[in-house]
Amino acid sequence: MKPAPFDYYCPRSLDEALALLAQYGDEAKVLAGGQSLVPAMNMRLARPGVIVDVNRLPEAAVIERCDGSLRVGMLARQADLERMPVALDAVPLLAQALPHVGHWQTRNRGTVCGSLAHADPSAELPLAIVVLDGAIEARSSARGTRWIAAGQFFESYFQTALQNDEIVVGASFPARREGWGYAFEEFAGRHGDFAIVAVACAVALEPNGVASEVRLGLGGVADKPHLAPLTAYCGRVLSQRDLPEIANAAVADIEPPSDLRGSARYRRALATNLAQRALTRALASARTACDGLAQ
Amino acid sequence: MSQPVLGAPLDRVEGPGKVTGRIAYTADNDIPGMVHAVVVESTIANGRIAAIDESAARSAPGVIAIMTPRNAPRVDARKVDANDSLLFLLQGDAVEFDRQPVAVAIAETFEQATYAARLVRVRYDVRPPTTALASGERFLPDQIFGKPAQHKRGMPEDAFARAAVTLKQTYRTPTEHHNPMETHATIAQWTGDRLTIYDATQWVFGVQHRLAATFGIDPKAIRVVAPFVGGAFGCKGQTWSHVPLAAMAARLAGRPVKLVVTRPQMFGWVGHRPQTEQVVGLGAARDGTLAAVTHDVLSETSMSDEFVEPSVVFSRDLYAVPNYAMSDTLSRLNISKPTYQRGPGESTGSFAMESAMDELSYALGIDPLELRLRNYSANDPDSGKPYSSKRLRECYAAAAAQFGWSARNPKVRSTSRGRMLVGSGMATASRATHRSPCTVRMRMNADGNVLVQCGTIEQGTGTPTVYPQLAAEILEIPPERVRFEFGNTDLPAAPIAAGSQTSGSVGSAVVVAARRMRELLVSHDGKPPADGFEVELEDSPPPEEAEHATQAFGAHFAEVEVDPDLGTVRVTRFVGAFDGGRILNAKTARSQMLGGIVWGISMALFEDTRYDARSGRIMNANLSEYLVPTNADIPDVEVILIAGDDPFANPAGAKGIGEVGICGSAAAVANAVYHATGIRIRDLPITPDKLIR
Amino acid sequence: METVNIEVNGRSYSNEVEPRLLLVHYLRDTLGLTGTHVGCDTSSCGACTVLLDGISVKSCTVFAAQAGGHAVTTIEGIGNSGALHPMQEAFWAKHGLQCGFCTPGMIVSCIDLLRRNPDPSDAEIRAGIEGNLCRCTGYENIVRAVRAAAAAMKADEPRRSVAELLPVGAS
Repeated sequence: MKPAPFDYYCPRSLDEALALLAQYGDEAKVLAGGQSLVPAMNMRLARPGVIVDVNRLPEAAVIERCDGSLRVGMLARQADLERMPVALDAVPLLAQALPHVGHWQTRNRGTVCGSLAHADPSAELPLAIVVLDGAIEARSSARGTRWIAAGQFFESYFQTALQNDEIVVGASFPARREGWGYAFEEFAGRHGDFAIVAVACAVALEPNGVASEVRLGLGGVADKPHLAPLTAYCGRVLSQRDLPEIANAAVADIEPPSDLRGSARYRRALATNLAQRALTRALASARTACDGLAQ
Repeated sequence: MSQPVLGAPLDRVEGPGKVTGRIAYTADNDIPGMVHAVVVESTIANGRIAAIDESAARSAPGVIAIMTPRNAPRVDARKVDANDSLLFLLQGDAVEFDRQPVAVAIAETFEQATYAARLVRVRYDVRPPTTALASGERFLPDQIFGKPAQHKRGMPEDAFARAAVTLKQTYRTPTEHHNPMETHATIAQWTGDRLTIYDATQWVFGVQHRLAATFGIDPKAIRVVAPFVGGAFGCKGQTWSHVPLAAMAARLAGRPVKLVVTRPQMFGWVGHRPQTEQVVGLGAARDGTLAAVTHDVLSETSMSDEFVEPSVVFSRDLYAVPNYAMSDTLSRLNISKPTYQRGPGESTGSFAMESAMDELSYALGIDPLELRLRNYSANDPDSGKPYSSKRLRECYAAAAAQFGWSARNPKVRSTSRGRMLVGSGMATASRATHRSPCTVRMRMNADGNVLVQCGTIEQGTGTPTVYPQLAAEILEIPPERVRFEFGNTDLPAAPIAAGSQTSGSVGSAVVVAARRMRELLVSHDGKPPADGFEVELEDSPPPEEAEHATQAFGAHFAEVEVDPDLGTVRVTRFVGAFDGGRILNAKTARSQMLGGIVWGISMALFEDTRYDARSGRIMNANLSEYLVPTNADIPDVEVILIAGDDPFANPAGAKGIGEVGICGSAAAVANAVYHATGIRIRDLPITPDKLIR
Repeated sequence: METVNIEVNGRSYSNEVEPRLLLVHYLRDTLGLTGTHVGCDTSSCGACTVLLDGISVKSCTVFAAQAGGHAVTTIEGIGNSGALHPMQEAFWAKHGLQCGFCTPGMIVSCIDLLRRNPDPSDAEIRAGIEGNLCRCTGYENIVRAVRAAAAAMKADEPRRSVAELLPVGAS
């Protein structure tokens, strides 16, 4: 199982990379960490005619905190983030999600932005950025830079709002805010495997205990990360007793797929359960955060 | 010597080579002028090849030849004996299963051959395939290893009808692929009419004879070398299609050829454990004494072979049951030929029988361990022969004590740890030991150093460490003065390294040769002459050995935690105690048991080859979707060796230890899941969805 | 074709390679370093794990051309001055191997594990090397080996010399 032949370009500047994408369009594939692309090429599930390897771009591995967000550059490896306590502290949901992403060796190589651009519907990082309401920075030579809200970025199985000539140059994950609590839950058939169902949750509490925001996303249940419509539960004081109802509401409109890893029925049961667990933990951590504020 | 040599946990002599990556497996070898072959496999499971267009492939860079049914050398693909299989050597256009070889691309580099293989366009006349066990044509095989496909002792129907308590349940085990970490690989080189083969095989002589028949040449013209084998578990026991295909490709190319089977192709033509459907009936008195056992097995076989998974062996040969009936029925499917996989028969049969015994224990309100003890058999219940040795009672006691079985609350769903349900279960392990004729040559030089030669192989079991230990013990010299040479057909003939027989066969031949050498030494006042001694002998089991039944035994105890909301099962503790007769090396033996237990856990929770019902294609032919456990899925496993001599088994006094560990361990896990949840899973694997109701 | 200049186990190499050549095949077929094995091609098994600039990666998911300008360490480059690395020593002594096929990748991964966590618990060991499959050992002895290696590396114990390697083998 070895890849089909392809033309290989290893640009030394972003402009050069963008020019290549503009030239080759949908023939070209951007190679960053390669942890999804190369196995797919090995298995001949992907046969790009042109590979644009962005690993040698100079600007690319930045991870920095700015304006209430964590900005992750296009070549920041998942393990770079995992090894950076400041970053993990800034975005607790990422800290919880990252250990579920593949194995240590694949995180050493795989990039955060690459995982977003790959848009696997059961992947952890797309789910996290949707729940955090982050944004993806795309650039093309023709139209320059645009920011795409995470909610609009993922379109379907391995499909994003990126145009053929665009590249993801960074992603912005909103940092921890006062009164917020976060939780990530995932279930895979075996350690290190893709999630059968994953749930990310973020809850914001007012100092008086009223939930001002309840955001909950589900991975592995649809063709893209699914953000549950839970606005009805905002503006209320939430107790543990409310959580089964919220969890049920969160999965009410999903139509999960059936495949080798699990039936639709099982995925739904799993989603309900993990949603409740995530809500419980997110609420508890939000309360702790509020108590911290009160002191 | 102050320390006994035999049984000592000596470090593996080939360990340094393995930890430094210097040891060569088949695919690591390079021969000058060598080119690469890649098999094109079918994408349908039933039908005929209508046309092959290889023009694009032929003109791809580096391509030397594309071998198809049109230009493949004519060879004999028929099987040579009942245990062999029909090979798929591009001699015709019929397609019987998914991933059957239909062409071979030969090119200068592996990448070029792989690319060319993908350019071969095959058009098929497709017929609907049959891959569901229930749908295949059913028949009783002529024989199962020389025994009839139906057999009874006593009056099972009457006894079952009269029994105070009866139970009849159906248990299912899925298709499982061996997936050793090293995939199959072959290098073939013709020198005139002589053929040299490097092959990842459990049996160099088997490859030699099969190729001799296929090519119609003298076996002596074929030299087979098995470098270190990267795991096998049964799938490297037979000569499969790619081995002669590599030789045919080498003939066509006029150059040496390397053919490496890819991981997805490991789900093709190289064998698998067949799926089974087993109906077990138990009839017992109120005190748990078994009056009757029936065991009826339906298992799959391919369109052109009759492979029987001998699951019945476990129920037939273990408990003291006066009335017994078994049957083996086969179902013909569009699958490749099933074959032996670690613990063939007993691994699948023990899941059914030991699950049924667990069900009976709850029906009667008798402790599962106590139920086994009440049916303990001093003799082989089927033949009536005494066992060569049996320390199963000691296994039960030691493992139960270590596990803390007596503290268990027998009530189902009675124990929890946080939100997890906790359960424990046990099962018996049993696996027959065999012995086949084996030849060894032993040389002692004037300096007293010894060379032992035998054409067996090393697949992880510790061959080059263990047999020198055995010889050294008898010769009363340090084991490092004995060197073991193995792995090619120039050496004295050894039987297949499978079926729990290598310790019994190679070990016995080494013992007999060492004893003779010792006599020679004694007759020379303990000093070898200037030109040394040499002993070469063929050792065969004497007729009196058949007076005893030889089986390895063991007891498994498993603890699981089940998440009642998600249905996940995690094995949290496992204790196994085993009677493997005389232990030749405590370190390698313990490791065999550990590995076997983990195979059982894997069988219980993970492994499952899935066929698409409509296309007959395998849907999870890779290591990302065919699940084998990772380190993080496995708990601490404790192994207790109940060692002791076995004077009647064979001269080595050793029983087979490579397979007994998997026999019963899946049932122990399933029984623990029942104890934790009250849910009885009778079809493996125990996936979370089966526990969410 | 691409030219790669690459440092492997401390030696510099320069080769013309096809872009699609995977690092694992470059190491095995071009350089003859066959200690790195191929087990799956889907990044599932870890048999091909090597260090890229000191960090473990699965070499079936990296093209050789991408490793140009970087330093690769394979199992053949583990250990030095004729002595086994403590991890190699521990895998041998604790029987963290049987058939040996997963062993090189496993050892490389375990070395990277101790680099980031010099004193891991059993659970951390099991989770830390979940990207490396072993089909023989049942993992128990691998965990023991990593534990022993961690202790030895802390104590800086003397190691057995490679020169002691016994001549063993299939011929």
